[in-house]
Amino acid sequence: MIRIRDLSMRLASGSRVVDVLSNVSLDVPDGQFLAVAGPSGSGKSTLLGLIAGLDQPTSGRIQVADVEITALGEDALARFRRDTVGYVFQAYHLLPTLTALENVAVPLELAGDRDAMARAAALLADVGLAERAHHYPVQLSGGEQQRVAVARAVGRRPRLLLADEPTGNLDSGTGKQIIDLLVDLNQNLASTLVLVTHDATLAAHADRVVTLRDGRIVSDEPMLRDLPR
Amino acid sequence: MKAVLALAWRETRGAARHFAYFAACVTVGVAAIVSVGSFAASLERTVGRSARALMGGDAEIRGMRPLSPEAERAASDAATDGATITRVRELAAMAQARTGTQLVELKAVEPGYPFYGTLVAEPDRPLFELIGGGRALVHASLLERLGLRVGDHLVLGDRDFAISGVILQEPDRAVGVFSLGPRVLIAGADLDSTGLVRPGSRVRHRTLFRLPEGADAEDFVKRLAGQVPDSAVRITTYTQAQPGLRRFWDQLTMYLGLTGLVALMVGGIGVAVSVRAFVRGKLDAIAILKSLGAGWRQILAAYLCQTALLGLGGSALGAAIGWAVQPLLAPVLARLLPFPVNLAVSPIAIAKGIALGVGVTLLFALWPLLEIRRVPPALILRRDVEPTLRGRRPWLALVPIAAGLGALALWQAGSWMIGILFIAGLGGALIALALGARLVAALAKRSRARSLAWRQGVANLHRPGSHAGAVLVSLGLAVMLIVAVALLEGSLRQQLDHASAETAPAFFFIDVQPDQAEGLKSLLSGMGASALELTPVVRSRLSAIDGAPISPDARTRRDDPWFLTREYVLTWAGAPPAGNSVIAGRWWTAEEAAREPLISVEEDIAKHLGVRLGSTLTFDIQGVPVTGRVVNVRRVDWQTFNSNFFVIFSPGTLSGAPATYIATAHVRPEDEGRVQSAVVGAFSNVTAIPVREVLARVSSVLDQIALAMRLVAGFSIVSGLVVMAGALSITRQQRLYQSVMLKVLGATRGFVLRVFAVEYALLGAGAGLAGAALAAVLAWAVLRFALEVPWTWDPVMLGAGVAAATVLALGIGLFGTSRLLGQKPLGVLRGE
Repeated sequence: MIRIRDLSMRLASGSRVVDVLSNVSLDVPDGQFLAVAGPSGSGKSTLLGLIAGLDQPTSGRIQVADVEITALGEDALARFRRDTVGYVFQAYHLLPTLTALENVAVPLELAGDRDAMARAAALLADVGLAERAHHYPVQLSGGEQQRVAVARAVGRRPRLLLADEPTGNLDSGTGKQIIDLLVDLNQNLASTLVLVTHDATLAAHADRVVTLRDGRIVSDEPMLRDLPR
Repeated sequence: MKAVLALAWRETRGAARHFAYFAACVTVGVAAIVSVGSFAASLERTVGRSARALMGGDAEIRGMRPLSPEAERAASDAATDGATITRVRELAAMAQARTGTQLVELKAVEPGYPFYGTLVAEPDRPLFELIGGGRALVHASLLERLGLRVGDHLVLGDRDFAISGVILQEPDRAVGVFSLGPRVLIAGADLDSTGLVRPGSRVRHRTLFRLPEGADAEDFVKRLAGQVPDSAVRITTYTQAQPGLRRFWDQLTMYLGLTGLVALMVGGIGVAVSVRAFVRGKLDAIAILKSLGAGWRQILAAYLCQTALLGLGGSALGAAIGWAVQPLLAPVLARLLPFPVNLAVSPIAIAKGIALGVGVTLLFALWPLLEIRRVPPALILRRDVEPTLRGRRPWLALVPIAAGLGALALWQAGSWMIGILFIAGLGGALIALALGARLVAALAKRSRARSLAWRQGVANLHRPGSHAGAVLVSLGLAVMLIVAVALLEGSLRQQLDHASAETAPAFFFIDVQPDQAEGLKSLLSGMGASALELTPVVRSRLSAIDGAPISPDARTRRDDPWFLTREYVLTWAGAPPAGNSVIAGRWWTAEEAAREPLISVEEDIAKHLGVRLGSTLTFDIQGVPVTGRVVNVRRVDWQTFNSNFFVIFSPGTLSGAPATYIATAHVRPEDEGRVQSAVVGAFSNVTAIPVREVLARVSSVLDQIALAMRLVAGFSIVSGLVVMAGALSITRQQRLYQSVMLKVLGATRGFVLRVFAVEYALLGAGAGLAGAALAAVLAWAVLRFALEVPWTWDPVMLGAGVAAATVLALGIGLFGTSRLLGQKPLGVLRGE
């Protein structure tokens, strides 16, 4: 599903140049639940963003679902995200001017789905927020906002789900709900899930854990509990 | 306090982009005000410096008849005291040449003229070597129109003149705005032999005085006025030279100045927006200061200082720009002037512009700055998304703010009445626009468009902190101003075109002697003229109201004594003339008219004079008093180009008075030249005023005024766009975030652009609609109440206003936003 070769990302931070990622190569098979762990500043989120085509790497190549996304232009990247990627952020990033329902409907509408609103309502119901559909983000709790964000991310049944510290702003109980939701979707949609976290207990849910430090992969381990599956 | 000030200063550095827009909002308005003010000051100085030349003397007696015996005596007394005297007579007359006829402004002068300034002629010889003995100097345009050359002959009245040269510059010509025709200058002795000066002829008599060195002109005029009780003459010093010209310019520059003030007010809204956003961003800092023990007054004072400094900076820049663009405005206005204006730096205009700029800045900044009071120190303990301020908004503070803005407007207007009208109009417009903005926000909240781009764009209009309301108000105000100017111009032009096309006669013939009336009539009808009207007129002065003589004192005490001192052209009639309707009392019957002298007065003049039914008016007709009783009041439709009268007597009363006739006639345009030549050939003293030509001249004056108005109103549009750009800059982060998030979710750049385009276009269209609607109201009110010209419905102009506002808002918005589109999402989201 994902094929990364010699990926480097160099950013200017003030007068200093920082190597956020250095020569990362990684293959993620279809349907895998991969956790990316590591301390903050290790390059996890940047890696996830590059996989979604949210920026151009300094060097290296990324292939997602047989598409060389590092060769795509901006609008092609936007369409690629619309059709292939679902993204969940730590800070939810809902559009503040739209209701929960409308937020969920955005990717569907962008794809020209005629039943966007009905589908969005069903998705909200799936995450248990049917009765909050017409609330604005500021009127929702953090957990509710993140559930809306998840519903928004999976609406197009993306082949690739990316989640960047999705429980980082939530208490542990609510966080657990979100992870369960993501894992369920990973299994029900048979999509590939890449979860960035620095929380070992969350990482333990994954099929495989890759650990980054200072922009390099320092370990890459399968989780044994999943072997029988 | 020092610490707070230092902090305020440090924060200014941190928010440079904010404050650049803040200053720019003030800059544009001050530029408008200073450019107009500087021009007005330059004009004032030019007029002041050449005031003696503009009059041609130190003092003047001016009237529509020769000096009375008392005045003659007073003048000769002055002469024995060392004053030098010369006489000038001015009248409209017809010049005939072998090539045609032309209405001219004839001026007859005597030796000594001009006492000040120089009459420049080609050839360059002393004046009295060029005129006198049947010679005339003419303006070049006369030669051009009649196809003549120097050395050719023309006939004025009964006398033949040789053209001896061309007038290049005439110091005391009161034109520039309106003139009936080219100047012809002859010697006073020659005028007497033309036969043009007959009883009832319209001749302006000016007696000019040059005082001995060191004599005080004011004293002289006061003494002279004491000796000359004649209410029909004006006695003035050179400082009051060319009163009509001055009045025109005072008014024009006042209106232009107020137009500039609107630009500054529009910018003030931008200041308020900018300060509000600034305070919103500084809530934490304010809470920290408060928890450290600073009082809100201290903090407010510090931010006010900061605001004042920024306002001063913006205003100073504006003053510089205003000065720099003066050469753009000046040529447009200078085309209306008979003399060149020396543009000079005017410290007063600049100081006034800066003071207005700083004043408007502080007043508009005060309201948002008062929020400081409501910031709870406990804010630092909480991390709310939308921090709540404590207490209610200090609505009472709006009273001194509004009063302050009103005072600034009065200062700029320089007149209570105009100032109050301006404030009322502006206040009303602001309230209407604010309500309009509310309505737009409410509609935006309600609307559930199908398309995502539309929904997003519409949602941007009502999201918290969008500033759409302020942009709508400021842009709407600017649109209102510029569309109103266009609508006014349109209606006036329509009126002129309409007049020249249909209703207006081709000619007014004036100074027709009684024995010429029948002859003129048959000549005109023989040449195919239609709608011929001959009206007897008697020239007079008002001498008493209800038996109370009009004292010289009353003439000087009142602000606007023209209706007391003006020459009243009287007529008589058995029935109300066409276009006149009796609104009080009733028209006289023949029997009533036979019993006693009765009077019909026009409603406005009745109001000015304070006369009612039953009042009596006494007119002085060449020394003979004639009294009549007011029995009805008329409303006159001044739009008709009939000969209309303020005062009409019952038939019989004026039969012994020296009357002349005025005639109007409709003639086919292609016959006009032929008819004019025939009439002038037959009746050399009759003056033919070609209406179409006069209207064309009025039209070209209107062009210049409208152009100047548009130029100054253009500043408001720039101001409105600066406010919009500033508001966009304030919401830059929100826009960037929105653009990035949409792209993360799979939106292309084109889609994001559409979202923003919808928002800006709606904003512009909303401002355009509200502004155009208000412009229609404003233009209608001005036309109806001030100009008394019918309102012309002009949907094209209104539509153009809406369209232009939409396109401009779209252009500025997309220009300001386009750079956001290229931003890579990852960097932006990491920065969040």
